[in-house]
Amino acid sequence: MSKKAKNDELNLNTLLAPVSGCPAQTRSFRSSGSNRSGSASELLLTQMNKLPRLTTVRPGRPDTGTRAHDKSGIKYEASSAKNLCRILVLLILAVLFCAASVSGADWKQAIGERAWSFPGDHGSHPEYRTEWWYFTGNLSDKDGNRYGYQLTFFRHGIEKTPKDPGNLWSIRDIYLAHFTVTDAAGKRFWYNERVSRKGPGLAFSDTKGLNVWVLNWSARMVRSTIRLTARQKDLEVDLELVPQKPPVLHGRKGLSKKGPGEGQSSYYYSFTDLRTTGTIRTPLSKQPVRVTGTSWFDQEFGSNQLSTDQAGWDWFSLHLSDGRDLMVYFLRRKDGTIEQASSGTIVEKNGASRHLRLSDITVDILGQWKSPKSGGTYPARWRIRIPPAGIDLTISPYIPDQELITEGSTGVTYWEGAIGGSGTSMGQGVTSEGYVELTGYAGTIGGIF
Amino acid sequence: MKIVTKAFLRYLLRRRSLSVLQLLGIACGVAAVIGMGLSAQSALSSFSKAVEFLRGSSTHLIERPAGPIDEMVLAELIRDPSVDFFAPVVDRRVRLADSEAVRVLGIDPFLDRVVRPEISSAYFAERGRSARDEPFSFFTDERSVMVDSNLAAQLKLQPGSRLETSQGVFNVTGTFPNPSGEPLILMDILNAQKIFDLKGSVDRIDLIINDEAAFRSRWEKGFRIESKRQRQETLTALLYAFKLNLQALSLLALFVGTFLIYNTAMFTVVSRRRDAGVLRSLGARRYEVVAAFLTEIFFFGILGGALGAVFGHILSRFLTEIVGSTISTLYFFLKPSPQPWSLLTLAAGIALGCIASLLGCIAPLIELILTEPVKAIRGRVAYKGGRRKAGKIALTGTGILCAAAAFLLFSFYHVYVGYAGTFIFLLGVSLFTGLTVMFFTPLLKWLFSKIGGIQGKLAVANIRKNMGRTAVAIAAFMVALSMSIGLGSMIESFRHSLIWWMNSQLKGELYVSTRGDADVPEDFYEELKRVPGIGGIDTYRNVQVTYRGTPVYITAIDASILQRFTQFGWVSGGNENWEPVKQGSVIISESFSRRFNVKKGDAVAIEGIEETVRFPVTAIFYDYTTEHGLIMMDRSTYIRHFMDRTINSLGVFVDPKYPEREKVIAEVKRRAQGRNLPIATRSELHDTILSVFDNTFAVTRSMRVLAIIVAFFGIAGALMTLFVERRREFGIYRALGFSVRQIAGMTLFEGIGMGLVSFLMSTGVGTALAMILIKVINLRSFNWTIFYHFTLDPYLLAGITAIAASIGASIYPIWKVYRTYPQIQIREE
Amino acid sequence: MQPIIRVADLWKYYGDDEQGEPALRGTNLEVAAGDIIALFGKSGSGKTTLLNIIAGLDRPTRGRIEIEGQDLEALGEQGRTELRRTRLGFVFQFFNLLPTLTAFENVFLSLELAGLPDPAAAGAALTSVGLAGKEGRYPHELSGGEQQRVAIARALVKRPSIILADEPTGNLDTHTGTHILDLLVDQCRLAQTTLIMVSHAMITCRYAQRILQMEDGIIMEDRPCEAPGP
Repeated sequence: MSKKAKNDELNLNTLLAPVSGCPAQTRSFRSSGSNRSGSASELLLTQMNKLPRLTTVRPGRPDTGTRAHDKSGIKYEASSAKNLCRILVLLILAVLFCAASVSGADWKQAIGERAWSFPGDHGSHPEYRTEWWYFTGNLSDKDGNRYGYQLTFFRHGIEKTPKDPGNLWSIRDIYLAHFTVTDAAGKRFWYNERVSRKGPGLAFSDTKGLNVWVLNWSARMVRSTIRLTARQKDLEVDLELVPQKPPVLHGRKGLSKKGPGEGQSSYYYSFTDLRTTGTIRTPLSKQPVRVTGTSWFDQEFGSNQLSTDQAGWDWFSLHLSDGRDLMVYFLRRKDGTIEQASSGTIVEKNGASRHLRLSDITVDILGQWKSPKSGGTYPARWRIRIPPAGIDLTISPYIPDQELITEGSTGVTYWEGAIGGSGTSMGQGVTSEGYVELTGYAGTIGGIF
Repeated sequence: MKIVTKAFLRYLLRRRSLSVLQLLGIACGVAAVIGMGLSAQSALSSFSKAVEFLRGSSTHLIERPAGPIDEMVLAELIRDPSVDFFAPVVDRRVRLADSEAVRVLGIDPFLDRVVRPEISSAYFAERGRSARDEPFSFFTDERSVMVDSNLAAQLKLQPGSRLETSQGVFNVTGTFPNPSGEPLILMDILNAQKIFDLKGSVDRIDLIINDEAAFRSRWEKGFRIESKRQRQETLTALLYAFKLNLQALSLLALFVGTFLIYNTAMFTVVSRRRDAGVLRSLGARRYEVVAAFLTEIFFFGILGGALGAVFGHILSRFLTEIVGSTISTLYFFLKPSPQPWSLLTLAAGIALGCIASLLGCIAPLIELILTEPVKAIRGRVAYKGGRRKAGKIALTGTGILCAAAAFLLFSFYHVYVGYAGTFIFLLGVSLFTGLTVMFFTPLLKWLFSKIGGIQGKLAVANIRKNMGRTAVAIAAFMVALSMSIGLGSMIESFRHSLIWWMNSQLKGELYVSTRGDADVPEDFYEELKRVPGIGGIDTYRNVQVTYRGTPVYITAIDASILQRFTQFGWVSGGNENWEPVKQGSVIISESFSRRFNVKKGDAVAIEGIEETVRFPVTAIFYDYTTEHGLIMMDRSTYIRHFMDRTINSLGVFVDPKYPEREKVIAEVKRRAQGRNLPIATRSELHDTILSVFDNTFAVTRSMRVLAIIVAFFGIAGALMTLFVERRREFGIYRALGFSVRQIAGMTLFEGIGMGLVSFLMSTGVGTALAMILIKVINLRSFNWTIFYHFTLDPYLLAGITAIAASIGASIYPIWKVYRTYPQIQIREE
Repeated sequence: MQPIIRVADLWKYYGDDEQGEPALRGTNLEVAAGDIIALFGKSGSGKTTLLNIIAGLDRPTRGRIEIEGQDLEALGEQGRTELRRTRLGFVFQFFNLLPTLTAFENVFLSLELAGLPDPAAAGAALTSVGLAGKEGRYPHELSGGEQQRVAIARALVKRPSIILADEPTGNLDTHTGTHILDLLVDQCRLAQTTLIMVSHAMITCRYAQRILQMEDGIIMEDRPCEAPGP
């Protein structure tokens, strides 16, 4: 790690020092949960990895400082995948968390099982502090050119009751969004990010059903069809997503526990298989291109802080050609070990889902890619074996560079990209496509420090 | 180096004091030009930098034709496919404790990130550093602001400091870098809306647009869309007259400077005639002699120019301050940072020095070339030809004056033509100097012999005899004094016109919220109307709109109130002009009428919120508030077409029949204070306006001083020249029995005589110049009529300056007379 | 032998037109090479005018001057300048040294203009007029006589064929004047240079081979030296 990077981290630490004042109940968020994310805080975290995947450096003791993170990171790297482990921080969120912690008590906690009610629960749950709607998908045009996209909306509550409710600019929540497109044939990857308050119609999340937007990026569900639209200059998607399977509730009926404390959980469900049609326009294509494919949708909400001793995580979501969907998640701890709660979910063709424990899963890293921009070295090819599910897959990214370096508000660097591969499922040869998210591999904190 | 050249250059050392004077003369001339030019440049470049910085990466902006824009428009803009991004802006001003108005930008830091990344990244970085205590204070604390680092340094503000303003105390949460010269305070849009009482609306929205035509087709109606380029043009147009003024002042400096340099260069040539003759007798070719001269002159030019560049650079630091404060007073707060020192400045100074020197020496050099060597060898000759030659020159002057008149007549074409005419006029007039000297000789002789006896008389004879030398110095000084008188008279006349205007238009007892940074809530207006004893309240709303692509102003007032209580300066007619205004007609300012050639009975078409409205013009009135043109309409008309109920200020008129006038005033004051609205009495308002006016002419005044300083060196140089040349004569005077004192007295009288002639001449020329400035230049650049008003002050000032400068300029030669007393001899060197 | 200077019917009016009294009214003169001539005349008789015109410093209203057979008028400005550079030397009553140049530089200037920039020659010329050791002095640091010596050195150094001396002793006391004349004539004889001296001083007679008298713009016949001048 360069000296500069260290300084950055020091800054971060200083910055986050107040976080230590936050309720200390927070534990590593994905540590205990059986699914991809955990408590609200983790939620947030996950979100951060999803959006500006922020993460860790959490509360805790500021005096243990960067160095500790650093060291453990290196250890981990040495022991596992030789990846440099860094602390990612989404600045805004980090600040937000702490701010939120002050009034954290106001927010409803994710405690107990939830009586789910769709489609209402696709909408916003403003009584919880943190919430996100997360879409990724693998698409292809009529010539078989493959595309990937990611469109994520994130809501974070600042003040449950704004000081000046009469004014639309009063801040109750902050909305963030990330939007990426991968063009496998064109070997290009584009990413954008946005932050907004609700304002006079700038950002919104409906409580009655899925209807969320940040400026002109939006996701709306009408009956059983989700419409995604997003445009940023020459980059545009306009997609219709139709669920092929019912929502999959993660954890205990959707309650994803993160830590030992009450409320250190989040509510979390997914649409793992969404038939997708629509158009994509990129700076290369100029014109909208008709595409079809499969998308994945996660929604998660909660109110809690994440504490964390983890350095980052690797998360996989895969659609198999035989109709099964797989989610696998590893949390890398700062001490270099893999969190035992790291886990996965297998969703059968008929929509039935089954929890996978860490011991069920073996992942070998077959290749690496070093980012010329951030200097981070990411795993770039994997073999995933899940004997209990009869799965053996080898997957690799569409293109190596699907790294997001967010300079504007977040300053977080992570990798989130479309991947594809092949292997066997229940003894049959299958192909697979999906998304992988890798956080904590590049320490570059954008230009804002 | 050729020996010839060496011979000439050694004169510089030999006549050190003169050389220094000459160098200083050139340097001052060049410094005036460079200083003025640089500060004009700093002001304008700071201005465009400020515009650029504020605009960020936006390509367009959208606003209402008048008044704020409803923020709900944003939701529609989001969906417009031509819009890539946008950022709403509340753009207001607050007054600091030192009464400077600073721009306050209310922004949404999230949206602004795309449009003005520098500001918001600074904001986020600041968050990063100071999040410790109140991570969200920028949003949650409605008094929280960020201050640009220059202003912060100037006011010694740090995060955590408190900033007193006319809108109350702000809490500084951080600073951000600002490359432009315009101080800036940043606050969250929410807080800006609260503080400026703008709920639900913003001042404008900055846009990044990908398809202008498509966007315009959808949004043209009811909005004003301005592209980056148009914006720049609008703002440039705003500063046009001011820029012109600065340019004219630079030219003035150049003019006086050239005169002075001419004086110097001419002396160089004239005093070396004998040497030239000797050289020619030795077989030197003409061009060799000319080359030797040019070397010397260029040496002066280069050295003086370089020195002038340095002086000018220093001078520009002061002038920039003044220019900045003028811009701040007139247009918007700008703290131009002085131009950094650059070799270009040096090059410009040297070029100026050389060109002016060259111009100065051309005539004498040509004369020298045409002279037979034998004449040259006789060296200095007394000014021959006398009246005839002076007459001849004056004849040329008459021709030039005719040209000047032609230029002035054609100044309607462009104000530059007017400027050219003015300078040609000055040039022409200066050719009359010889004749004037001769004209005044008898008078001076009589006067000086009364005062100074024989040496006074001789001094006059010397001036007359050495007219070749003295005339140029007198002319240079005369031009400087005329400038002083002309500008002074113009300013005084202007001031007088302004006072007349204030007395006719601003007749309210009290004015509420005239400072432009706080609007008057409408309910306060209603409340005041009910105060017993109030005769009437005029609502005042002033807003910039676009007419024929250039910025003009609309002022909405209450016509019936103004009809009752004021007596406008109408170009024609009287207060009956108000009648149609009540029905929806408008009256226009003289500047508007002249600028757009709109007459009474015409109609002006302005983009309203619904449609283009054609307002019939019912009368034209004199106005000095803006050179850009003013359309005045009744408040009801304004609200109907622009749907803007904002009131900037109120003029309160007490019912003349009400017995307790003081009580009413006190009551209004009390209520205004209760609303935290600034209040001014009529005389306070008048004083404010006058102080603004005076501030406006600060640059002009400083240029007057500069012209005098330059001319001072001119006079001093000329006296010195005469002294150096006439050393032998002094010997003769001594031989005739003159005391050194008498010789010194003679020198003094020569100086005073020259100053006096300059002054006498400048009274006429200055008055003429004032008329030109009033009737041509001001009319053309600002489109308003100033009524000439005679005041003695400028003349007195010029007279005192003239005498003081000429005495001051004589001191050194007199000292030389005393010092060289033993050496005075008849024999030549 | 062809005369080195030939002046024929020379008229000179001052002023713009031929009004008033002419300074020269049909002067004629022929001078043989190597002659040493003294030209006497009252103040205003036209002596200096004649000298200036011969030197090409002034131009006649009418008439013809030939120097070494060349018509001055036909030579044009260029030719006259060239002539002054190489063939003519001038010695003035008021010395007319350039005040900002040292004695040496004043002499060297003449060489430089003649296109013979030889410092040794300049030094030698100063030595020959008895100013060795004073080369570095400025004119105002020299006495009148010394200044005139510099002027003589300046005129002689370029080895001209003619030297025109306008009252060379007019500004000097008799004693110094005699020295100067000695020097000037000696040097001219030595170099076979033609010398025309305009003078008031009778003593000049002694040095001249030929004596001319000028009256009202006309040169009278040669007179014997013993004849008293004006």
